[in-house]
Amino acid sequence: MAGIGFELRRLSRSETYLGMLRAYLYAGVIGSGPWVLSILAILILGVMCLGVVLPASKITDFQTSVTWLIALSLIYSGGTQLLYTRYVADRLFEGEKKRVLPNLLGILLTTGLPLLLASVPLGLWLLPDTSVAYRLLMIVSLNLLNTVWVLTVLLSGLKRYRLLLVLYLLGYGGSVALGFSLGKMGLGMEGLLLGFASGQALIILGSLALVWREYPPARLLEFDFLRAGRAHLWLLPIGLLFNAGIWADKFLFWLSAGTGLRVIGDLHASTIYDTPIFLAYFTLIPGMAMFLLRMEVDFVRAYDRYYSAVRDGGALTAIRTFREQMVVTAREGIYDILKIQGFTVLVLIALGPSLLAVFGIPRLYFPLLAIDSVGVSLQLLVMAGLNILFYLDRLRIAAAVSATMLLANLLLTYLSLLLGPFFYGYGFVLAMLLSCLLVLTVTDRALDRLNYTTFMLG
Amino acid sequence: MPETPLSDCDILLLLEGTYPYVKGGVSSWVHQLVSQLPHWRFGAVFLGSQEKDYAGMQYRLPANLTVLQTLYLFGEGSRPPVKPPRLPADTVARYTRLHESLRAGHAEALDFGSHLEAGDPFNEEAFLYSEPAWQYITECYEANATEPSFIDYFWTVRNLHRPIWALARATGTLPRARLFLSPSTGYAGLLGVLGAQAQRRPLVLMEHGIYTKERRVDLMNADWINDARNPLQSDPTEVSHLREMWIRFFEILGRLAYRHADPIISLFETARQQQIRDGAESTRTRIVPNGVDVERLARLRRADRAAPPAVICLLGRVVRIKDIKTFIRAAHALRQRLPGAQAWIVGPEDEDPEYSRECHELAQALGLGEAVRFFGFRGIEEILPEVGVLVLSSISEGLPLSILEGFAAGLPCVTTDVGACSELVYGRGDEDQALGTAGAVVGLADHEALAEACATLLENPDRYAQARQAAIRRVEAYYDQRQMIGVFDQLFSQRIGGEELR
Repeated sequence: MAGIGFELRRLSRSETYLGMLRAYLYAGVIGSGPWVLSILAILILGVMCLGVVLPASKITDFQTSVTWLIALSLIYSGGTQLLYTRYVADRLFEGEKKRVLPNLLGILLTTGLPLLLASVPLGLWLLPDTSVAYRLLMIVSLNLLNTVWVLTVLLSGLKRYRLLLVLYLLGYGGSVALGFSLGKMGLGMEGLLLGFASGQALIILGSLALVWREYPPARLLEFDFLRAGRAHLWLLPIGLLFNAGIWADKFLFWLSAGTGLRVIGDLHASTIYDTPIFLAYFTLIPGMAMFLLRMEVDFVRAYDRYYSAVRDGGALTAIRTFREQMVVTAREGIYDILKIQGFTVLVLIALGPSLLAVFGIPRLYFPLLAIDSVGVSLQLLVMAGLNILFYLDRLRIAAAVSATMLLANLLLTYLSLLLGPFFYGYGFVLAMLLSCLLVLTVTDRALDRLNYTTFMLG
Repeated sequence: MPETPLSDCDILLLLEGTYPYVKGGVSSWVHQLVSQLPHWRFGAVFLGSQEKDYAGMQYRLPANLTVLQTLYLFGEGSRPPVKPPRLPADTVARYTRLHESLRAGHAEALDFGSHLEAGDPFNEEAFLYSEPAWQYITECYEANATEPSFIDYFWTVRNLHRPIWALARATGTLPRARLFLSPSTGYAGLLGVLGAQAQRRPLVLMEHGIYTKERRVDLMNADWINDARNPLQSDPTEVSHLREMWIRFFEILGRLAYRHADPIISLFETARQQQIRDGAESTRTRIVPNGVDVERLARLRRADRAAPPAVICLLGRVVRIKDIKTFIRAAHALRQRLPGAQAWIVGPEDEDPEYSRECHELAQALGLGEAVRFFGFRGIEEILPEVGVLVLSSISEGLPLSILEGFAAGLPCVTTDVGACSELVYGRGDEDQALGTAGAVVGLADHEALAEACATLLENPDRYAQARQAAIRRVEAYYDQRQMIGVFDQLFSQRIGGEELR
């Protein structure tokens, strides 16, 4: 019989949408959760050691060193974190559990080796007039941190928050304890740094053990993520730009002549800016909790329902309803973050001065702290928006938002530095406000056109 | 005066899922036609679904088949890059208008030339990626779909339409020909229409089966159409909207081909009537039956008055559509009257093994023993000289070559009333009918009547001789393959010649 009717059968169903419902594992805490935790730990470590172990200046040296380590390693690993989490999500969706660990080692090797090679000259160039032990410890710590971020984001992506918390408590607890005792033994700042590095190593070992237990590998090393079509390369610039965007204002304050000063080697810090901005990140904690709850639970549930309806032959009315529900959960999530952050900022403004007094921090910092807490709240909203864009697979738009955030933060912070102390902090806030408005606008549009884009452009 | 452009071939064949990559009736016909008309240069375009669906060349191409193109309509990577186009504001309204006129039977509403241009609201990018297309598809779903699954609806719409642009694009790169010949409507028919229009050449349509009807049967039985995910929701008496969409789509393609083709050829009268019902203009329809090699088969004839062996024989694959079981029951009934009678089944049994097994079991249950024999595939030269009456118990047929082969070998035929069978037994038109009755025609699944008709022929030497004469005269007069080839030869000269004079 003439005709090709029979061969059409294989084409009547498209497999395209199998790809749509990835078990998305983007952690809400990407890029921010772990480092908030670590900054916290550094501050605690500093406070604990204050006056007990060392002269205050050595504590500042230590805190500045670790801050730089965190900043550089986060920016360096930002892309890898996203790329690898997404890679894992895709593989788990395909049921290829055994790929998780060998490719983790593969990606750590691929990104770790260049970092190791680069960090040696960096240690020589950025850290003049410091001890060999210090430089060595800095180089080791930078490489450890790079590994820690990738592992952390993997575990938080797998929603193992509790285990992660325990690991961090152990790691930083160990850091503090070891640093404390080494400091007492007279090893000075190098002792603190050794404690820190050991804590990181502990976190790495613990995380690796967890991953190993969860995803028993078939082989040790694999570079599957390098194969064409296996990884989403757009995530690299997003991670890089986003993390650079978070740190841009800090770097400008550190390196600007009026506000920053050399602390150790060529590492700078800013007395005026650092304390308020890092304290401001504490005000994020309630918002982050809300974010996890709303985005990672409610939104993901709505998202799953939507794509299940699409794939499993739901009626168009059902698909439309589920899309609307998704918009509603997204909106509620954002409102809730706004509400709780608004409340936190209000409480901070009301009680801030007295709180600062309790901890013995000069009241001088208060105005900047208040402004910065608005800024970091907005930054959380940017993350929430980016998170939705990740779920919807709008990676190019997410890259554009991250780039905007970096540029705006650079430009406006620089402007605020030019305008003088009265404007400090406003550059950061304005940059975050702009990025926030941008990300919410594009997210709204992406959600609005979701039915069309899912079917027609998917 | 512009120079007459050189053509790549005289006749371009548009072959959907047949020659030279798939074996079958149409493919044999094409091979025969090309081989026996060496003075025409043929070209062929093979239309397939995906390259991996075909096992490679099944025929040795004759030397006068000078060009062969292949086109896969559902091939990988044939999608243009994802880029939603900007379209005029009235695009949805234009989609609605086009589909309304297509549904009303106005196939000319399609203007393929402009639909390939960038920015045209009917081009492929617009169909695949534009918001108006999305809007129109969802509107149609809401207005018509009887099944809830939107994703199935959506992909049915996509797969249905996608080949159109592939064909329209292929039009530009077709070999240049002086005449287009398509042995079916469907996608091949559409390509024929487009090619003939683009090159301003005539299109001849030759339908072996009725494509639209065959597609209808396919689609009704297709289990790959996901139209009832929940069995409770579906009403089995209702044709689902998804199936109906496919059917209507092929009907539109059919009408398009009928509008442009001249002549519109069929194998027998019933098929011609069906074409007219499907939209073919009756003045352009024409019947050119298949033919057999009468000269060769005549050597298998017995002497004129030799008594026929009490053997009835069915030539055909052992499949349900041939209703072999009725033949076996008829054999049983026949043996009540002619205890020595034998029934032979000659044809491959591997296509539907379960049905074959059932047939064997039936023969056993009826206690027929050695009286019913399954030969499997055999050459007819070996079989026909030993047969008394040829039998066809099919529930569906076109123009069965086995009857013609039997006729040529001097065998009368008892057949069910399907396809061209009654035309073959009684004759088509007065002159043909005057040749006499070449056997008997009985109702579907009526084994009693079938046995009765066979017995009458085998028991009655005069009736047998008369039927045998009619069979031989009819096949010699109307179904000689040389005649069929001659008709096409003449047709080609006419259509190409006429075209050159214009």
